[in-house]
Amino acid sequence: MPLLPFLRPLLGFAAAFCFATLAAHAESPRVAIAKAIVTEDADEQVKLVGSLTGSTDATVHDLLTAWKEGGTFICTAPSGLLDAPEGSKLAVQLSGPKDADGKQAATRIDTGESLKNADGSAARLLCTDLDAADTSSDLRVVMHSVLELFAIASPDPHTRFNAISQMGLSQDPAQLPVLLARQSIETDSAVKRALREAIAQIQLKSSDSAVQIHAAQELGVLRSLSSRDALLQLATDSDVAAPTVAKAAHAALRLIEQHLSVVNFYGTLFRGLSLGSVLLVVAIGLAITFGLMGVINMAHGELIAVGAYATYLVQNIFGAGVELSPLGYPIHFRGFNAGAAAYDWYFVVALPIAFISAAIVGLILERCVIRFLYRRPLESLLATWGMSLVLQQLFRLVFGANNVQVYSPRWLSGNWTVFDVILGWNRVFVIGFAALIIAGTWLLLNKTPLGLLIRAVMQNRNMAACVGVRTERVNMLTFAFGSGLAGLAGAFLSQIGNVGPILGQDYIVGAFMTVVVGGVGSLAGTVLSALAIGISDQSLQQILLNPVLGKILVLTAIILFLQWKPAGLFVTRSRSLES
Amino acid sequence: MKSTKLLGLALATAASTALAFSSHAEEDTVKVGVLHSLSGTMAISETSLRDVLLFTFDEINKAGGVMGKKIEPVVVDGASNWPLFAEKAHQLLEQDKVAVTFGCWTSVSRKSVLPVFEADKGLLFYPVQYEGEEESPDIFYTAEAVNQQATPAVDYLLSKGKKKFYLLGSDYVYPQTTNLILLEYLLSKGVPIENIGGGIKKDDSGKIISAGKYTPFGHTDYQQIVAEIKQFAAGGKACVINTLNGDTNVPFFKEYAAAGLTAETCPVCSFSISEDEFRGLPAKQLVGQLGCWTYFESIKSPANKKFVTNFLSWVKSPKVTGAPDADVKGVKAEGRVTCSPMVLSYDGVYLWKKAVEKAKSFEVTKVVAALEEGIEFDGPGGMVKSQKNHHLTKNVYIGETKADGQFKILKEYPNVVGEPHLMGTFKTKTASN
Repeated sequence: MPLLPFLRPLLGFAAAFCFATLAAHAESPRVAIAKAIVTEDADEQVKLVGSLTGSTDATVHDLLTAWKEGGTFICTAPSGLLDAPEGSKLAVQLSGPKDADGKQAATRIDTGESLKNADGSAARLLCTDLDAADTSSDLRVVMHSVLELFAIASPDPHTRFNAISQMGLSQDPAQLPVLLARQSIETDSAVKRALREAIAQIQLKSSDSAVQIHAAQELGVLRSLSSRDALLQLATDSDVAAPTVAKAAHAALRLIEQHLSVVNFYGTLFRGLSLGSVLLVVAIGLAITFGLMGVINMAHGELIAVGAYATYLVQNIFGAGVELSPLGYPIHFRGFNAGAAAYDWYFVVALPIAFISAAIVGLILERCVIRFLYRRPLESLLATWGMSLVLQQLFRLVFGANNVQVYSPRWLSGNWTVFDVILGWNRVFVIGFAALIIAGTWLLLNKTPLGLLIRAVMQNRNMAACVGVRTERVNMLTFAFGSGLAGLAGAFLSQIGNVGPILGQDYIVGAFMTVVVGGVGSLAGTVLSALAIGISDQSLQQILLNPVLGKILVLTAIILFLQWKPAGLFVTRSRSLES
Repeated sequence: MKSTKLLGLALATAASTALAFSSHAEEDTVKVGVLHSLSGTMAISETSLRDVLLFTFDEINKAGGVMGKKIEPVVVDGASNWPLFAEKAHQLLEQDKVAVTFGCWTSVSRKSVLPVFEADKGLLFYPVQYEGEEESPDIFYTAEAVNQQATPAVDYLLSKGKKKFYLLGSDYVYPQTTNLILLEYLLSKGVPIENIGGGIKKDDSGKIISAGKYTPFGHTDYQQIVAEIKQFAAGGKACVINTLNGDTNVPFFKEYAAAGLTAETCPVCSFSISEDEFRGLPAKQLVGQLGCWTYFESIKSPANKKFVTNFLSWVKSPKVTGAPDADVKGVKAEGRVTCSPMVLSYDGVYLWKKAVEKAKSFEVTKVVAALEEGIEFDGPGGMVKSQKNHHLTKNVYIGETKADGQFKILKEYPNVVGEPHLMGTFKTKTASN
């Protein structure tokens, strides 16, 4: 105990000494970054950060990464801070837990020391008073080039891959030694390939024509799509001066063009498949309500929108909550502020909820309107159309006329690149999702007692009623099931497009088209027609290079097809349709 | 039939009583028309302009009005219906006899009211960025001309070392014309034609009639186009010039992000996304992409600060002081932002006020003459000045979108002269091929 008063100044001295040495080492990058953070001049920022290129100091890496990710803050100094006049701008990082007032301890970026009050005690800052330092894309480009040197030695192969590709595209000969050094120790095969590509790209700039020719050949062998521009440039530049180089460049370009046409073929196939799956997901609910039950359900699009809005609600409940005020009565949905990892799974929760909410709306629709109209298809068309208008207005009242924002979780917003064909995760997901829905629907209809009843009622309502089937109940459940499927479609569509009151209108025509072409009443027909429409649409777009012309041709083809086969691809023969 | 007659009769009586009342107040008010879509598809964008106009009238009336007369707004609804716009313009000019009209958003609505204003010698202020190639004696274009938005944006991208430009837009007159002008401009800057993506269409004589890729309104599938951009941008130094309208931007940007394209690898510069449109877009997917306007809400000037705070407090209790029907209904108070078309509407009202005061008359010919001589106004976006060719000289800003829906200003081009006739004025550099 008595030792303490003696020790305290000593400890303080030791700490100050430590900081001083640290600061002396790290002064220039830290000060430069701190200056760059607080300055308002975008060009000055770029210059300051650019001056750090070549640095191997780990603090540079940590600070720039923190800055990019919004982890650095600008604070306007309050009075009574050590070494900071009141009102001056300070670049800080926050650390430690928040206390009851929402205040956190802070570290000054220019010195690396913790922020102190004039009396030497740690200063705590109110987080809401701070602005996160933002970045512009120019600045991020510079940060990238500074961080590339770190990235190239990163343990994550993906980071290495990106950094190396970027260095190749810059064609900066100064970076060649770094890449060559890396090549001798790299083990990951994808990164190795990227290294070969990057080195060859830089070598295209070489003054030695033998090196250039070798580099061009290498790029040809690698089928490097990203080198196309550089090779074209080389071919035109050296056309007269060095015909052998130009020849090698042309040969490489030919190989790349061949590769490109293969890539485009598979790419188009994949995109067609995914568009077909979107159509299928949208149309499958209608294949039940319209195809099986014979209700011309114009409100199908709005049932899709119900699913999309349900996804929006779930997303917000996972986040900060949402306030809705239908007809002036505010309803508050409390959010539970899930962390980033949990938030990403909101979509998995949203799927069943979208299904259930759309099924409930479908159920209400069936009980209140459609059940009176089973024998009058034309009236059902008008009534459901009316209902669709009512629902649209309801969306406007509850959620507003503007579109709402639905964010894609991280696991739906990336992509795989397989042999230069981009497989977007959302697209892969929809193909699997469509397959699952189809399988589920098929199982329900063909392998369950309810499915048997559904098929019986749809084939002959009166006969089914005679043998004791409660047709009313089966109708109700079938319609709710079809509506639920529409809700699932809405949940997915929220990931690739708009969520607004007229969301359904964009898809209703496509849905009817798919069902009619496939043959009303046939699941297999719906699947086949969706895929056929999707693939032909994408192929025509690829060939004609025009999205509108392709659509027109597909529609014309459908009209001609229906002239030839009015009942669609698969004709279902049932007594109810004959009557 | 009967009911329509009755309705017509009722309307006529209402109108005549209204007239009887207003003739009473004629001494101290001046009628000003507001012609925007308050229902239909365009209502989302145009309602904000109605709000800002009424706010401006309120501000002017509080400060004593125009030449001692209070502004009396006559608000009519074009309902996103172009023939109806012409009809409403007729009504404003012939029945209400307004001194000036502020209105229109889409080019087609402007084109449909243009003959009405020319026939009746009215005066219209048009506030939304447009394709140019028009110069009516009865319209003042406070809007951005192509050289106040598209060409500065290209200058900026060129200065950042971009070499390849992909043109993408919605299929209607503004993107088509703008991209044709941009094509000429890019060629004049030495960008070879094979570095301009999206496709070039020529007619039989070999004249280029369309440049870039176009999708219809409500297009939802951008897979193919994004794959094309990905290949276009594979070699680096590429960017996209985006004139897609409204919510078709959502599927485009979602697909763009999913394909691994970012603002760092291939930035998208959009001409139709302002702070107001941003409210309906997924902000995260747009972070870092570029925009170009003559005003951003994030401009740090005292004039803008005052404008933004006053507008945001006005929407909480909207009214037009001094007008016979002072209360304003249907103004949303939550989540409001300010954007370029709103500020250009605001600037328009003040320019008109100053012109009236200079001409000492509300007469259209005298006001137009005063405007043509050059009226200056220090607005929220900086100083604007009216020109002889009915356009404005103003500052142009390049901004980058942030996650909070605002723009970080990267570059300012001061005092850009509005020039409507650009087609054919840029000479192609013939250095390469």
